[in-house]
Parts: sequence; structure tokens; C-alpha cells
Amino acid sequence: MAYAYLFKYIIIGDTGVGKSCLLLQFTDKRFQPVHDLTIGVEFGARMITIDGKQIKLQIWDTKIKIRSFPCKISISTIQHVCFVLNMAGQESFRSITRSYYRGAAGALLVYDITRRDTFNHLTTWLEDARQHSNSNMVIMLIGNKSDLESRREVKKEEGEAFAREHGLIFMETSAKTASNVEEAFINTAKEIYEKIQEGVFDINNEANGIKIGPQHAATNATHAGNQGGQQAGGGCC
Amino acid sequence: MNFLRGVMGGQSAGPQHTEAETIQKLCDRVASSTLLDDRRNAVRALKSLSKKYRLEVGIQAMEHLIHVLQTDRSDSEIIGYALDTLYNIISNDEEEEVEENSTRQSEDLGSQFTEIFIKQQENVTLLLSLLEEFDFHVRWPAVKLLTSLLKQLGPQVQQIILVSPMGVSRLMDLLADSREVIRNDGVLLLQALTRSNGAIQKIVAFENAFERLLDIITEEGNSDGGIVVEDCLILLQNLLKNNNSNQNFFKEGSYIQRMKPWFHVGDENSGWSAQKVTNLHVMLQLVRVLVSPTNPPGATSSCQKAMFQCGLLQQLCTILMATGVPADILTETINTVSEVIRGYQVNQDYFASVNAPSNPPRPAIVVLLMSMVNERQPFVLRCAVLYCFQCFLYKNQKGQGEIVSTLLPSTIDATGNSVSAGQLLCGGLFSTDSLSNWCAAVALAHALQENATQKEQLLRVQLATSIGNPPVSLLQQCTNILSQGDKIDRRGSKIQTRVGLLMLLCTWLSNCPIAVTHFLHNSANVPFLTGQIAENLGEEEQLVQGLCALLLGISIYFNDNSLESYMKEKLKQLIEKRIGKENFIEKLGFISKHELYSRASQKPQPNFPSPEYMIFDHEFTKLVKELEGVITKAIYKSSEEDKKEEEVKKTLEQHDSIVTHYKNMIREQDLQLEELKQQISTLKCQNEQLQTAVTQQVSQIQQHKDQYNLLKVQLGKDNQHQGSYSDGAQVNGIQPEEVGRLREEIEELKSNQKLLQSQLAEKDSLIENLKSSQASPGTNEQSSATASRDSEQIAELKQELATLKSQLNSQSVEITKLQTEKQELLQKTETFAKSVPAPGESEAGMAAKTTDVEGRLSALLQETKELKNEIKALSEERTAIKEQLDASNSTIAILQNEKNKLEMDVTDSKKEQDDLLVLLADQDQKIFSLKNKLKELGHPVRLKCFQKRFMVYFKELYCSMEMLCLHIHITGMNTWVHEYGIVCTAFTVFGE
Repeated sequence: MAYAYLFKYIIIGDTGVGKSCLLLQFTDKRFQPVHDLTIGVEFGARMITIDGKQIKLQIWDTKIKIRSFPCKISISTIQHVCFVLNMAGQESFRSITRSYYRGAAGALLVYDITRRDTFNHLTTWLEDARQHSNSNMVIMLIGNKSDLESRREVKKEEGEAFAREHGLIFMETSAKTASNVEEAFINTAKEIYEKIQEGVFDINNEANGIKIGPQHAATNATHAGNQGGQQAGGGCC
Repeated sequence: MNFLRGVMGGQSAGPQHTEAETIQKLCDRVASSTLLDDRRNAVRALKSLSKKYRLEVGIQAMEHLIHVLQTDRSDSEIIGYALDTLYNIISNDEEEEVEENSTRQSEDLGSQFTEIFIKQQENVTLLLSLLEEFDFHVRWPAVKLLTSLLKQLGPQVQQIILVSPMGVSRLMDLLADSREVIRNDGVLLLQALTRSNGAIQKIVAFENAFERLLDIITEEGNSDGGIVVEDCLILLQNLLKNNNSNQNFFKEGSYIQRMKPWFHVGDENSGWSAQKVTNLHVMLQLVRVLVSPTNPPGATSSCQKAMFQCGLLQQLCTILMATGVPADILTETINTVSEVIRGYQVNQDYFASVNAPSNPPRPAIVVLLMSMVNERQPFVLRCAVLYCFQCFLYKNQKGQGEIVSTLLPSTIDATGNSVSAGQLLCGGLFSTDSLSNWCAAVALAHALQENATQKEQLLRVQLATSIGNPPVSLLQQCTNILSQGDKIDRRGSKIQTRVGLLMLLCTWLSNCPIAVTHFLHNSANVPFLTGQIAENLGEEEQLVQGLCALLLGISIYFNDNSLESYMKEKLKQLIEKRIGKENFIEKLGFISKHELYSRASQKPQPNFPSPEYMIFDHEFTKLVKELEGVITKAIYKSSEEDKKEEEVKKTLEQHDSIVTHYKNMIREQDLQLEELKQQISTLKCQNEQLQTAVTQQVSQIQQHKDQYNLLKVQLGKDNQHQGSYSDGAQVNGIQPEEVGRLREEIEELKSNQKLLQSQLAEKDSLIENLKSSQASPGTNEQSSATASRDSEQIAELKQELATLKSQLNSQSVEITKLQTEKQELLQKTETFAKSVPAPGESEAGMAAKTTDVEGRLSALLQETKELKNEIKALSEERTAIKEQLDASNSTIAILQNEKNKLEMDVTDSKKEQDDLLVLLADQDQKIFSLKNKLKELGHPVRLKCFQKRFMVYFKELYCSMEMLCLHIHITGMNTWVHEYGIVCTAFTVFGE
């Protein structure tokens, strides 16, 4: 499908904050409470329209996939393993995520409004992201699970304050009810798009997580000028 | 190498010492020399020794070399030497030509040194940072060293790279290096890096690996490119194999479309180099990775869809039908097409429509089947065709029907010019090549898989075996071959044919009682099976025995008892007698215990290293798994249990029907519930409205009550003496006002009545008086006075009566009005009372309220009834009064009549009197004249006599007049009587 731009997103945050669920809700418009590990939800793609332009979003959920186990293990064991991994390997988990920062145009930093610790970890996540990403990466702060109002531990105001302090966009979402999910992804895309319009992003460097669509690339090629004049001519015809 | 062996053996020889010393010295120089040149030279010397004296250099120099890497980064030359040396120590690549024994040892060496090197994780990070150095002398050996480390101890090194920031990203940059050597070695490095590590695979894909690799492949000329293309393809395979996330990304990134040009091989016959064959092979495998049957179903089908849409499947089918394609590629293409169409109807339909470019065009399926049953074709190709056929039929009822229909009498081409798929399969089934037998049997079994219709259709197939003999059914022919199997000379293993046929029969008969009946109909079949099972044969035959047991088991389990001689029970008894239950079960177990069974059950693809391994079909293993347990159970079960079970089944069916019935009912009830809910909601609304109405009414009633009470108090004052309204205290009337009004009116009426009664009494007494006055002789004057008074009274009475009547009328109108009003109110309350209990089912509170209201209403009703009764009593009284009035009226009328008569009499007598008076006057005149005459004549005596006579007569008249006067009541009479009296007196005077 033809698109004007392609943006790469990553979703980061502590385990269990609902990263995969947000992704699944955005790309498939469904919610899966018990995670089906056999389905590849770690990557998703969707087309959106901003300013009349088709924009393709490619989104990576940065969690680690445990591969070293035989096929037949029950979900409970996996959860157990995940738990152990969280306790012992939070640091290593985070460092794996670091590999994604460089190539992403946008990041959704997610915490769970019913778990204060996930909110407390935001600073570390943000430091990491700022350190390893290109400076223009758009980061959106997301307080997920807003449907669980009764179990809320982090006030909306706190999230807003954190976002203000660090210059992030903020939104509370619920992957379960789909509330604000669409908005979160689209608002991030809008921000990136604006930055492109302002000329902040170097759109020719794919390492920024932005790619120009085939048609746009053709026009760009003619702009590029003299080298490969034949090619450019072909583009014109 | 002798030297190395000596080293390993631990022998100490002369030259070894000197070399060891040299290495020692060099190491010292590297460690201690302050001059860079000196150190560089020493490292270069170590490098030159490192290949030959790997162990020594490794043991002594590694530490120093690592130190150099850390401290001498500014000098790319020394770094390059150090990296090369380390690479020589760690890598096993250079040892390819050495003998096996030493290779193993050197492999040990490599991994041991790798372990030492990576013990310090910083060393790996150091290497990663060196990769950033653009200098070819640093970057290239660093790439090679890292590759080598990854090859030695992949998982550990992967883990270190994974957690070092930007580690993977840096390695990805290698693909962008303009120097091809580094780019190509970078691909090899990434190959080693991504091997079976999902997290790294994902990051590499995230870093645009697909895009770059596909670009490289295109640049290099697709399959015509060299080994670089192969390396890129293998890296792609690493990234995609068993990685759903990356597969999804690959599909979403529209990279499947970019695979299509890979397969533009065309007819140009540009030659098939070994590299091209390898490249194409890997390309085909890459396609298969995306549509592997082991992938999640949804992922596979979306890739299958994309492959059809972008024309990749069509492209592959052209290779399939092209000429001059190497068998290896053709085989893999068939396998690839198989998996691209497997279980995806659109692609299966397309495949069925593909024609081979022959004259006349034949369907690709037929052409492929021809290769399958052709014993001259390579074994792997025949397997691939079988796989393709299986994939074509997998979950494809339409395709299954088409294949079976080519065997049915009606559709077989009479001319025999074109060969059909069915004919080919039958040919294969009965050929003398056991491999063809097996393949055809399995292929046919797949046409029946999970398709009851085709199982029954295939029973219709008749075969003409030889001229003159009657046609034999396909089923029968199969069993015939089975029983005669040993007599026919065949190529290949005899077991293969029988196993194939038995698998076909088992598939055919399972879940198809009609086929079972057909099978049992031939009386030779069961004895053959029991004979086979019961025989004590060698190990080779065990599998056939097992399959025979399975077939017998199937014909028991799916037996519908339609054949008298082979009912379930009889077959079981047969097993018990001839084989023994235990023995039977043991033989049945041979199937799943076979070594090739588990192999076949793993993958759908029939992939056998050699024809001897071709025993089991994947789908058949599924069937065995499904049936083994149930057949064992069925055999062990006694007849009673069987019966019981059947009963249970029946009851279960009944239950099922009951359940479905109930389900329907529940559905209906659900609907009803929904309706009722709506009704309830509407009723609730109504209820609320009514409740408000009720409260309004209650307040009204309260008002009325108050008014009523007020009235009652007033009434009570009025009727203290009567006390007839004592029950009025309990009145909770709806319309106390009206009631009060009614009461008032009743009171009025009563008083009126009383008045009337008293008047009546008066009149009665008057009449009495009159009568008595009539009876007793009274004076004329008196009687006339009373008569006049009477008539006055009568007139008064009449008037009164008239007014009373009008009053009564108006009252009765009022009463009826009130009654209708009351009726209306009653109706209202009744309707209200009726409407209230309807929703009351749901709300008890409402019901209570309504009952309360109802109670009150009933109390009111009672009251009104009482009041009615009172009214009735009053009206009765009134009628009585009326009657009395009527009676008195009638008496008055009678009296009037009498009076009239009397008046008539009086007028008559007046006339008479007048006449008499005239007469008298005449007489008087006459008498006077006569007197005068007499005076004249002197005859007074005679006149006097006459006069006397007249007087008597007059007196008589007068008496009768008096009598009359007694009866006269008219006033006029009195005067007349009075006049009459004057006349009389005049007469008396005259008479004297």
C-alpha cells in the first residue's frame, strides 16, 4: 500500500503495564486479557491519515521473547519465568530495549496507573531513552489501565505533572476499553509529522525511524538532481 | 601437525622449547616495551607464530593482546595485528585441511580460548567499540574475530552483545559499509549473531535488516548472484524461521512482493550453476518458512494470501511447468507450492486450474501425479508430488470431490484419450511398483480425509479387471491385493504395498458404517484379517499385523450391526476365540510403537531419507492416535456394557435432543424475557404515572374525607336522635362529598316525607271529619263551610303534591346522576385496581400498595352500597307515601265525582225550583187573579184548598232539597240553599 511516510514506534515500560495489549488494541482492535504467546503481537503495523496523508506506523513491543524453552510449557510457567526475569533481570531487560531507541521515531512510555512502582521507574526509563535515542524522538507518556479506577495508585495529576516536567505528551489510556488508545498513537504521529514539517527530522536518514513512501521518494530523487539523470527521467515519465 | 600432536600429547621436544621461549620473550616485549614500534613488531611476530603454535600463543599472549587492544587504540596497525592474532588463536576456520582427530582437538581449543576471552565481558564490549573504527585494518579483523567468537560460544556472546548498549545496532551498520568485504563478512557475523536468538533477531529486523538484505540480493542479481546472495538468504532465514514477530513485520513491510522477482528463471536456459541452484533452493526454503504448517494458522494464511495476490504462487507454478529445471529445484518448488496452497482455498483453486503447457494441455495435478506413479522419477520428487497432492486436498472438500469424481463411472472419459487423476491413482494402486502402490494409496486416502461423502462415493467405483470377468469394486480389489499380496512379484518392499493399502482401508472405513458393511460383506475379509493377526510372524510382519488389528477394530467400532453374520458382538467373540483380547491389543499397539511412527507424526511433509522409510503417512498417524484408545475400549467392553453404552448413547442422543429442545426453549424464553423486560419497563413507567395518580387521588380522598368528616359532624348534630349513621365513622369514601350530599338529600327527602305524612294524616282526619259530618245531621251552612274548606285544602294538597313530585323527580334525576357518577368512579377505581396488579408481579411493594388501595376501594364500595340501600329504603318509603297520596287523591276524585253529581242534581233541582217558582209566580198571579175573581165571585174556599195542596207539595219538594243539600259541597249551593230557604220562608209567610 502506498504511504507518504513510515514511522517506527517502540513501546517501552515495565513488564505487565500492558504494552502488548495497547499494540494489539491499536492494530487489531481487540483485547486479550491472558496473553496468547503463540501469536506474534510483538510487532504490529497500521495505516493512519494525518493532514490528508497516509502514514504507515510500524510498532515494536520491546519485550523479550523467551525462546530457550521447549514448545510445550504452560502459561503459568511462563509467567513464573517472566516474574523471575523481572526480579533478576530488570536491568538486562532494559538494556535490550536500548537497542531499539536509535531507530525509532516515536516511543510510547507506558506505566500502569494501578502500580506505583511502574510510575516510579519512569525516570530511569526516560534517562535511558534520552541517552540512547536521537534527540528528536517523540516520547509520549501513557498511564494505562484507566479502566481500573478502583485500584488506581497513581493520580492523573501526577502523570500530567511528570509529563510537564519532562516535556512529554501525556494521556491516560485503557487497552481494555480502547479508550484513548487510538489517540495516543495518532497524537504521537502528529507530533512527529509536525517535526518533519518544521524540518527538525532528517528524513533521509532511515536510522531516525522515518521512511518516505515510494512516491515521495521518487519526487525526492528528482530533487536530488544530477546523479543518475536517467533514473530521474524515468521517474518523471 | 606432528608438532601440534606432540604438544597435545604433553611430550616435551626440543624445538618446542625454543618456540615457547620465543613466544614468552615476545609477550614480555608486548607487555613491557615502552616503544610502540617495538610492541607492534612483537605483536606482528606473535601473529605469524599464532597459526602454527596456537596453544602456546593463546596461553601466553592472550592477556597481553587484550591489553594492547585496550591501550593502543590510537595505532590501528598494532590493533589490527592483535586482532588477527586473537582470531588465529580462537578461530577453527584455518584448520579445515587437518585430519579429523586434530580438528576435534582444535575445536576444543577454540572454544576454550573463547571461554577465556569472554570471561571478561568488557572484552566483547571492547571488540564492539573497535567495530566503530572505520580503518579497514581494525574493522575487518574485529568482524572476523567477533564472528568466530559467536560461532564458538554463540549463546553467551549473544547475551553479552544483547545487553551492551547499541551492540546490535553497531553490528547492523556493517551492512552499510561500502567495502564489500566488510559488508559480506558483516552478513556472516549477523548470521552467527542471529542464530536461534529471538530477541536479537527482532532487533536486527528492527534495524531495517530486511530492506538492506533484499537490496543486496537485488544488487547482486538475485539467484544469479554469488555466495553473498546465499549468505544474505541464510541470514533472512535466521531472522524469519520460527519468529512470528519478524514474519509479521516481513509481511506487513510488503517484502513478500519483493521475493517474486527471485523466481524469474524463464526459459532462456542460461545455465544452472551450482551457486544458482543453491541460491534458488534457499530462496524457496525462505518462502516455505513464511507458510510453514508449524506457524500459527492465521499467520500462514495471511502470507498465503499475500503470495497469491502478488503473483508469487503463479511465478512458482511456472517453474513447476517449465522445462530444463534441475530436479533438485523442481522438487523444492513442488514442496514450496505445496505449502503455499496448503489449507487455503483460493490458492488450492488456483492450483487446480493450472495447466501444463503440453498439447493438449493437461492439468498440472495430472502431470504431477504421472511423475508420482512413475518409478523412473527420483524418489524425493515423487515424495514432493505426494506432498503437493496432500496439501491440495488438505481441508479442500471441493478438491476431494473433484478427484473422486474422476473415478466414478459417469464422468470417466469413454474415449480414454486423456488420463484422469483417478485413473493414475488406480494405476498406481495396482501397479507392480510397491512405492507407487504406497503413494497412490496414501493419495487416495487424502481424498477421503474427513469427508464422509467421498468415502461413500468411492464405494461406487467398479473396476474391470480382465475381459470376461464381472467388474470388481475398488474396495474389493484392495482387499484382494492385500490377501494375494505375497503371490505377486513386486519391485520394492512387499510390506510397503500392504501398509499403504491397509492405511487406505482404515481411513476409508473409519467414520463410515456403510463402507464397513461393504467391507464385511465379502466373507473372505474377516477370516483373512483374523488369520493375519493370529499368526505368529516375524518382526517384519508385526506392523502389518498391527494394521490388520486396527482395520478389524475399525470394522467393530464403526459397525452399525446391519450385517447379521458380522455384528459387533460376533466379531468380538471371534477375536476372543481366534486371537484373544490381550493378543489383539498387543498387536494393535505395534503401530504406534513402530520407530517410523513418531517420525511421521511430527511433520505433514512426507520426507523420507530412502524408500525403505516410507511407511507411515502423517494424517494416518493422527487417525491412529484418535482410534487406538477407543478401539481398545470397545474390545474390552462386554456385550452388556456395549448394550449399556448404546443405551447410554441413545439416552445421550435423547438428552441431546432434550438439550437442544431446552436450548430452543431457553432461546424462546430469552426472547420472551426480553419482551417482558420491555413490557416491565413500560409498565414501570405506567406504574409510576399511576402511582402519582394514586397519590393525587389519595390526597383528594383525604380532602374528601375531611369534607366528609366535617359533614358527618354536621349531620351527626342533625341526626343525633336518629343514630342511624353510626357506621359512617368508618367511611373512607371516594366521594364523601357526594355521599354527604346524598345523605343531606335523603334527610331532606325524609323530612319532606314526614311532612307529607303529617299532611296525609291531616287530610285523612279531614276526610274522616267530612265523613262523620256527612253521617251526622248538620246544618247546611256548616256542611257547605266544611265543603269549601275541603276543596281549598284539596287544592293546596294538589299543589304540594305537584311540588313534591317535581322535587322527587329532580331528586331522582340527581340520584341517578350520582349513581352514574359513582358507577364511573367505581369503574375507574376498578380499572385502576386491575391495571395495578399486572406489573405487580415484579414489584411486591406496588402490589401491597394496590391491595391497600383495593381495600380502601372495597370499603368505599361497601359504604356506597350501604348508602344505596338507604336510598333504596328511602325511595321505598317515598313510593309508599306516593301510594298513600294516590289513594287520597283517588278518594278526592271520588268525592269530586259525587260532588259533580250532586251539583248536577242541584242545578236540576234549581231548574225545577225555578220552574216551580215561575209556576208559583204564575200560580200566585193566577191565585191572585182568582182571589180577585173569587172576591169578586165570593168563592174563597176552593182556592184555599188548592193553596193547601200546593203547600204540601212544596214542602215535600223542600225536604228533598234539604236532603240534597247535605251532599252538596259547592259554595254556590249555599247561596242557592239560602235563597231556597228565603223562598221557603216566603212560602211559609205566604202559606199563613
